[in-house]
Amino acid sequence: MDKLAKRLRRDADNIEVAVSDELGHRIAASLRSVSPEAKSVAVPASRRPAMFWWASSLTGIVAAAAVIVIVNTQQPAEPPMPTPANIVAAVPVIDWKTETATLTGQLQQELDALQSDIKKAEQKVREDIGL
Amino acid sequence: MRTEIQLVEAAQAGSVEAFTDLVRRYRDRLLRFLLTRCASHADAEDALQDTLINAFRYIRSYDSRWRFSTWLYRIAIRNAAKLRTPDVVEIGDLSDEENDPLMQCIADSESENLWISARHLLNDEVFAAMWLRYAEDMSVNDISKALDRSASWTKVNLMRGRRALDAELNGRNEKSEAYG
Repeated sequence: MDKLAKRLRRDADNIEVAVSDELGHRIAASLRSVSPEAKSVAVPASRRPAMFWWASSLTGIVAAAAVIVIVNTQQPAEPPMPTPANIVAAVPVIDWKTETATLTGQLQQELDALQSDIKKAEQKVREDIGL
Repeated sequence: MRTEIQLVEAAQAGSVEAFTDLVRRYRDRLLRFLLTRCASHADAEDALQDTLINAFRYIRSYDSRWRFSTWLYRIAIRNAAKLRTPDVVEIGDLSDEENDPLMQCIADSESENLWISARHLLNDEVFAAMWLRYAEDMSVNDISKALDRSASWTKVNLMRGRRALDAELNGRNEKSEAYG
């Protein structure tokens, strides 16, 4: 035992502590009101029957085999090739027979109205300046 | 006179007398240890009472591979920790030497007691490890079980505690030599 250990031991021994009679009686009285609780018994894993492990292993193997079989036998169906008729139906139809004037008629009217307004404004300016 | 194992078996069968005989040899040392971990003498006594009651209540779950004293100290440490929750004890209380229950048990002539310095220099767990090692002669394995720590943690912290106390002791010696 080295110097520090001896010193610590000696200093600990110099701490004088004793349980008083009063505390001793208090503890004894408390102990009489308590009884040991039953030890909780956990079922150890090793106590399971060997059949349990065989059954669980077999179940696992069968399940894995079933998944493999299902995955390999049920190939997804080929997606249907679209027929030419379907392709035509899918394209939006444009009415090529429509006249250009039908499509631009409103714009043309608007343009005419604007040109008329410009002419009126030009004429008014000429009158104002005496031309 | 019955051996410790016989007393444990009788206590496990429900004998209060056997349990009282069993803990009689430990209770003074347990109280001394609890005084190092509680804020007051009264708290330490309460912690001792709770420790012994819990030990008796759960004596059937005691594993004889442990030393009985190690098992008791482990319960004691838990009970002391419950009493040292921040709601119950102000941090400054333990450093107040007048209220320090450990100081009250040390004679005035022993004011150089190294355990007083240890309380200031070491944290709670390192102090407990040092106490169990040097005051209670516990092995490193038993200390690690009592503190619920690994053996390597215990070894490292015992070494740190020793280093801190060695420095303190050498400092004191140097001072006493200097002042002649």
